[in-house]
Amino acid sequence: MKPFTYARPSEASEAVAALAADPDARFLAGGTNLLDHLKLGVVEPSQLVDVNRVTSTAIEDLPDGGLRIGAGVPNSDLAADPRVRERYPAVAAAILAGASGQLRNMASTGGNLLQRTRCVYFADPTTPCTKRDLSQGCSAREGWARYHAILGTAADGCIATHPSDLAVALVAVDAQVQVLGPDGARTIPIGELHRLPGDDPTRDTVLAHGDLITAVDLPAPTPAVRNSTYRKVRDRASYAFALVSAAVALEVRDGTVADVRIALGGVAHKPWRATVAEAALRGRPATDDEFRAAIAAELDAAEPVRSPLGGNTFKLPLVTGTVVSTLRGLAGGTA
Amino acid sequence: MTGPTTVDGVPLDATPRPGQCLRTWLREHGHHAVKRGCDAGDCGACTVLVDGAAVHSCLYPAVRAAGAAVTTAAGLPEGPDDPRPRFAAAAGFQCGFCTAGMVTTAAAAPGPPSDPTARGRALQGNLCRCTGYRSIADALDGRATVDAGPAGAVGDSVPAPAAERIVRGAEPYTFDGEAPPGLAHLVVVRSPHAHARITRIDTRAAVALPGVLAVLTHENTPSVLFSTARHESRLDDPDDTRVLDDVVRFHGQKVAAVVGTDLAAAEAGARAVVVDYEPLPAVLDAETARAAPPIHDGKTASRIADPARNVVAALHEGVGSIDAGVAEARAAGGAVVTGTWRTGRVSPASLETHGSRAWLDDDGRLVVRSSTQVPFLVRDELARVLGRPPESVRVLTARVGGGFGSKQEMLTEDLTALATLVTGRPVQWELTRTESLTATPTRHPMRVAVTVAARPDGTLTALAIDVLSDAGAYGNHSPGVMFHGCHESMALYRCANKRVDAEAVYTTTPPSGAFRGYGLGQVQFGIESALDDLARELGLDPFELRRRAVVRPGDPFVASADPADHPDDLAFGSYGLPECLDLAQAALARDGDPAPTGPTWRVGEGMASTMIATIPPRGHRAQAVVALDAGRYRVRVGTAEFGNGTATVHTQIAASALGARPDQVELHGGDTDAVDVDTGAFGSTGTVVAGTAVARAAEALAGELRDKAAARLGVAPADCTLGPDGVTAADGRRVDLADLSGARGEGAHGGSPRSVAFNVHAVRVAVDTATGEVRILRSVHAADAGVVINPQQCRGQVEGGVAQGIGTALYEEIRLDDAGRVTTRVLRDYHLPQFADVPRTEVLFADTVDALGPFGAKSMSESPYNPVAPAIANAIRDAAGVRPRRLPMTRDRVWELCREADLPE
Repeated sequence: MKPFTYARPSEASEAVAALAADPDARFLAGGTNLLDHLKLGVVEPSQLVDVNRVTSTAIEDLPDGGLRIGAGVPNSDLAADPRVRERYPAVAAAILAGASGQLRNMASTGGNLLQRTRCVYFADPTTPCTKRDLSQGCSAREGWARYHAILGTAADGCIATHPSDLAVALVAVDAQVQVLGPDGARTIPIGELHRLPGDDPTRDTVLAHGDLITAVDLPAPTPAVRNSTYRKVRDRASYAFALVSAAVALEVRDGTVADVRIALGGVAHKPWRATVAEAALRGRPATDDEFRAAIAAELDAAEPVRSPLGGNTFKLPLVTGTVVSTLRGLAGGTA
Repeated sequence: MTGPTTVDGVPLDATPRPGQCLRTWLREHGHHAVKRGCDAGDCGACTVLVDGAAVHSCLYPAVRAAGAAVTTAAGLPEGPDDPRPRFAAAAGFQCGFCTAGMVTTAAAAPGPPSDPTARGRALQGNLCRCTGYRSIADALDGRATVDAGPAGAVGDSVPAPAAERIVRGAEPYTFDGEAPPGLAHLVVVRSPHAHARITRIDTRAAVALPGVLAVLTHENTPSVLFSTARHESRLDDPDDTRVLDDVVRFHGQKVAAVVGTDLAAAEAGARAVVVDYEPLPAVLDAETARAAPPIHDGKTASRIADPARNVVAALHEGVGSIDAGVAEARAAGGAVVTGTWRTGRVSPASLETHGSRAWLDDDGRLVVRSSTQVPFLVRDELARVLGRPPESVRVLTARVGGGFGSKQEMLTEDLTALATLVTGRPVQWELTRTESLTATPTRHPMRVAVTVAARPDGTLTALAIDVLSDAGAYGNHSPGVMFHGCHESMALYRCANKRVDAEAVYTTTPPSGAFRGYGLGQVQFGIESALDDLARELGLDPFELRRRAVVRPGDPFVASADPADHPDDLAFGSYGLPECLDLAQAALARDGDPAPTGPTWRVGEGMASTMIATIPPRGHRAQAVVALDAGRYRVRVGTAEFGNGTATVHTQIAASALGARPDQVELHGGDTDAVDVDTGAFGSTGTVVAGTAVARAAEALAGELRDKAAARLGVAPADCTLGPDGVTAADGRRVDLADLSGARGEGAHGGSPRSVAFNVHAVRVAVDTATGEVRILRSVHAADAGVVINPQQCRGQVEGGVAQGIGTALYEEIRLDDAGRVTTRVLRDYHLPQFADVPRTEVLFADTVDALGPFGAKSMSESPYNPVAPAIANAIRDAAGVRPRRLPMTRDRVWELCREADLPE
């Protein structure tokens, strides 16, 4: 590990200023991802600016019936909050689907959204990775690509997926991200926070250096959001990252889809809002055939990887099966 | 800062370095109840409470603990909620390395412990490689399974002598306890090529760095060839390895070692070493290795079978004629099955990684404290490599945090010893988890082609295997694994026509080595799968086919050689195989989880049976001395405890022979100073070889005590009885133990003759043909271990073996990319089974008494692993009609098989 300095400001504005003044500085929140990457040599910051004391650890009611989640709220507290469990079941389920108790106790809400991909090539500085270094190529395309993207990829570009379960659920409930930057505060819809790789896969989000997530707002829950869940498909019953996951919210009236939200994890560089499928389903009968047709339309644009060492074409039927069975469960009230 | 951190209630007033994690900081200040199992928040061995919340201290910045109350396993509050006594009472550990983290997590876990989902979720962040988690579930439930009473004879579930210390994190492992003054650290530079010649190493910049004490390379270390594998005979393994070589043969091979005053200095030095390589052709596929350029060219005296063809070891022999046997089956209207099966590269992944600490004692003797299963064999080879007399080297162990065969190697001791000799300082080297996963030996991947034929009644008429074993870059254990893998797997069945064609070949991939089962699991995956297909074709129940086809007392053990030409010392000391088949079949038919409902779920059953010799062939030595000292029995034995339970069993054996309580027995083992010889704790010998030596020593001492007491009391020795307090004559007069101090007995065992043990595993699974998910609904295991000396402990060995078998069957695989580089570099990418992944296995023991083992016991440590993967494969076949031919049977592989068979989506 390369040596670095450590700062622990007491105001958010100080933290933002500290980062703005040092292009190689990094925020340190829960540290579960950053400390790992420091040890692996994936990141080599000059300075760590601890934001633990400058971000709220409170979950507050908003006047419209929504919730404001302080960026410092540990994942374990967020999953355990009775308001979250009742109004946003997909959010609580998503957190519990990931990591371990020890990690959830440490990991923060803001940090969870900003965790880096778990692509094994990204995590190993001795292999080429275009996400670590734009001048390099992607090792995964010819390597182990089981966990990699099928949507929103560019030819020969990065095929990493975003690993956060929470972010997928937040996309499905249309959360708003509160950000404090060098130029002041602003709000970013969660669906616009994460980026597709495009021509700069080194950037996971639209945040600029020095931008600090201070809170995540959940809008008042719609009937669909109250009837939401998170389904994660992985290699085994316990702790593992998603091959495919889906945060799904559904309101059915008289057998017809009145409202639906579908966000997918494990399929793209960002949590993938399945807008094509949603549009196809609204106003249609809540049947398996309709569900299947809708997700098939969403996957029309998919480009699975056919790597010599294990591609990910299996994700197409896996997404279909996961989304269809989750919608079916929500329609029947048994999810 | 908001005041000092308190650790277990005591202020710790020291400032952590920037970037230092809480674990390292705590361990640096003597809090060794915090263990290091990984560095990435995957294993949970370092779990502590920070203000009551459980965290992985390896990912927790130490500075952030300022003002906080940190609690380790050593400082958990006593009382009704304290999980530690429950872990001791349930024998909720084997090696115990994970236990301190496990109890700390349990102490903070909310929710009702009896809810399996909540339990699984609570322990999601804690890995145990030994137990299979059943005993941990019992601990969480407060179910006591060890016998608390004072008895402790053979057959009782005596608790491990170290139990109380282990659950409090107080039992020292290799790197626990006070560090010697001036301790330096070693960091290794590793090869970025799968195969290359080193053309230049420039260490000048590294040596010039502050804190760098020495840099070792192939230019300044001995060039003597040896094998990292250790056996009773050093000729068993090819001498093809150097401490540091000028040719690297796998990605991750050590190239240079930098010694620094602290870890950071050594790491900085390692980054500054400049190495130039001339790449050589990589050979990544065992199938093409024999036609590739030689990887160990010119090593003519190294005992490599055919260096020009990259063949480490070869076996081509048979009895009878396979063609005739196949023709006989066909003519009789029987069946012939052929098929090819492949097994994966699996890591032993003990929670304590490899490592050692070397220093010079006051007499100038080189002392190495190592995480090893074979201290005596390491001493002998280390002396040879260093060119020193063996008596000038002492190797010892603390409690070893798991091994499973992987520590039957000399992987670190050569470098720490050399570093100490060069610098004059104590030096330690503890492998990181990534080093462990990328550069320490794995199970040999094998391709096993099987031909088996039978008459309609199940009489086998032909059994042939063609095995290709991937040795990796070095031949350590490759001959032994190949010969052993092809032996008991074939010898289990009676058949007039047998043939084995087997070769182990070099590739430029990480070396394969010893791992639980020693080749049997791989070969048996092929043979037991083929027999399942054979039973199907014959219309026989698979249990019934085994009953008809297995060897029985009176039969010779024939793998591929005529016993007239190759007599050996293997014998039926006992024979519980039919009973195991009956027990497993009956148990499978009852109970189990309900099958999931839905149109895509299919349910099926499968089984496999296996045999193992209780001792490795050609000698395995142990020696024990028992001395009576102030009313206590002090037992010296060479073998190390690494979770296999020998400390408990040896205590029980000595107590039984001496009529003593277990707490009167004190063991001193794992030390080349303890006795003269000990081959080591491998080949399932802890009970049958070292245990026999202990039994003989204790019996010799018992005889002497009776003689002495009889002389004093004027009675015949036969009329004297040993008890916990003394020796009592028939008339009730007694000589106190205290008056017999100084008496001693010695015992030894040479590892021959050898018996055979049997295992049968059976499962019911549900397969989702739409997703490829496999769920185990029922798991039963019947074992013939002879007299079970400690039922709870033996059950734990079986359950742990089954859990490792499930990992091999369904998830675990060290994967290489097309450059030969391991991509599964951390535990989150290498899936060890966790609490939620392992079903409960019902363990049943055959009621046999072995004529050869101590107290009628047989070994039961490696073998439970062997039948698990084929049993699961056979159940998948039964459920879905598809035949898995490659391990691990991951969800996507099963899904692909279901698609090829056009099963419902």
